[in-house]
Amino acid sequence: MIGDFFYEAWYLSLRTLRRFFRVPANWIGIIFFPLIQLFVFSQLFKDIIQLPGFRSSGSGSYLAYLAPGQIAFTAFFAVAWSGSAILVEYRNGYMDKLRATPIFRVSILVGELAPLFIESAIMAGGILLLSVLLGATIKTGLIGAALILVLSGLFGMAWAGTSFVPALLTKSEQATGTLSLVFFPIAFMSTAFVPPALMPGWLQTVNSWNPITFLIEAIRPLMVSGYDWAAIGKALIAIAVLGLVLQSATLWAFRRLTA
Amino acid sequence: MISPIIEVENLVKVYPGGTRAVDGISFTVEPGELLGFLGPNGAGKTTTIRILATLLAATSGTARVAGFDVTTQAADVRRRLGLAMQTPTLDAFATGRENIELIGRMHRVGRAELKRRTDELLELMGLTDVARKLAGTYSGGMRRRLDLACALVHRPRVLILDEPTEGLDPQSRIALWEELERISRDGTTMLLTTHYMEEADRLCNRVAIIDNGRIVVDGTPANLKAGIGADSVTLQLEASGSEDMARLHEEVRGLLAGFESLESVTPEPFGVRLAIRDAGRAIPELMRRLDRNGHDVHVIGLAVGRPSLDDVFVKYTGRRIRTEAADQPLILGW
Repeated sequence: MIGDFFYEAWYLSLRTLRRFFRVPANWIGIIFFPLIQLFVFSQLFKDIIQLPGFRSSGSGSYLAYLAPGQIAFTAFFAVAWSGSAILVEYRNGYMDKLRATPIFRVSILVGELAPLFIESAIMAGGILLLSVLLGATIKTGLIGAALILVLSGLFGMAWAGTSFVPALLTKSEQATGTLSLVFFPIAFMSTAFVPPALMPGWLQTVNSWNPITFLIEAIRPLMVSGYDWAAIGKALIAIAVLGLVLQSATLWAFRRLTA
Repeated sequence: MISPIIEVENLVKVYPGGTRAVDGISFTVEPGELLGFLGPNGAGKTTTIRILATLLAATSGTARVAGFDVTTQAADVRRRLGLAMQTPTLDAFATGRENIELIGRMHRVGRAELKRRTDELLELMGLTDVARKLAGTYSGGMRRRLDLACALVHRPRVLILDEPTEGLDPQSRIALWEELERISRDGTTMLLTTHYMEEADRLCNRVAIIDNGRIVVDGTPANLKAGIGADSVTLQLEASGSEDMARLHEEVRGLLAGFESLESVTPEPFGVRLAIRDAGRAIPELMRRLDRNGHDVHVIGLAVGRPSLDDVFVKYTGRRIRTEAADQPLILGW
């Protein structure tokens, strides 16, 4: 029974990955914006690193400070419109074709969601690699890099709910990228660009609840100093809570759509 | 005694909003039969098929496929059912082979059998050469054939096809008909919908004419046509204008009064259309009657038509089948 579910989800996931990687526009589009931010902002605000608040982050350059945030941006872009694929297949009848086979209905949803872990992780890996090429470092080496990819992948998979829920509820492609865009204000308020010490008090309070800040603050030490297991633990909890809320809503919306 | 492989009893589907798409349909299909649902768009064909394929819940009534109830034993039905919907549904970013294999895996076709079966189906559908190309690059006919291959990968006992040749060019249509005939000969039971008369006439052992959510009549194409009785004889007449033609219509009626083979006379702008039993034998007598002295009825053209399913359709529904492209319901999100 559970074996059947994994069998179905595995082959449906492989199909989703194939669909993603066979279209170069997919990964170019995801990498493009974070790369521009990384490249331009690191030049534009080069000297901001001199400000006292940056010292405690341990980053040697503004590029090094900026890189973890851009990794989070990449994980976001990898899933920002992820709900549209399932909607297209709902519309064109492919979902019916799958539903007419003797599989668990939820396998179809898992086959769309699980691959987003791989997609977000690999795309985040691309930006990580590019930031190293531009001069950033990864103090913790390959194991740390792998941890960064896992965190990014998990975050991507969790955040995908912001695209799936409106997509499945409204059945409108236009809606798939609306809710997910709340990432922008949350990310701009996070520690992606400026450390908390330089923020006004209310923003510091916001950031003690900001999931994107937790993600970034777990990645940053892995790049500039060493393993900060407390930060990694906090990030995992933040992602788990986010994922639980968003994906429960996704599952509910999916069941409602296919009832 | 062989029990029917599809049994539908008093099936009703009322959509939210009150549309009665299926309004009490009952029928059975025997193993190996090829039943065609013939009807205009919106008649309820697709709704019936979606209920049989376990994709849609009926409002009331029962439907059993291969002995299993479509609502309470959906998984058992799905294992024995192949389905191809009106527009081919394929994964455009997967190759032809990958498309067939995925559906096969979802049906739990074993590894060795899947390889063999996929090769066999690709060969059968003439897709071996393009098996490694993405399905998104296929032509309309190729998509249809690949879709059909997907529906057949697990050797289903029942194959359900919704408008299998919709949108195909005449050549591809005939090729697909031959393919369907072969699948039917191999013993697969088939239920297909169509709004093409010739398709129903050529392919189906039995045709059910469906209109406004009900089956109005069913039988073999030959029996249905025999039920029409008379052949249609069209006469083109020489006239100097429409008033003259109206006068000729009356003359013809007069001349043919008492002609025992004649069933009806229908005036047409170009002459008259006659319904005549056993037209082959009756035509000499017909011409003799029209050629009587003292009248100026000049026949300048004559055509004899055997009854077609078109005539059957008109007889039972009172109108011609619409042949324009399928009306797609508009789906609106907000």
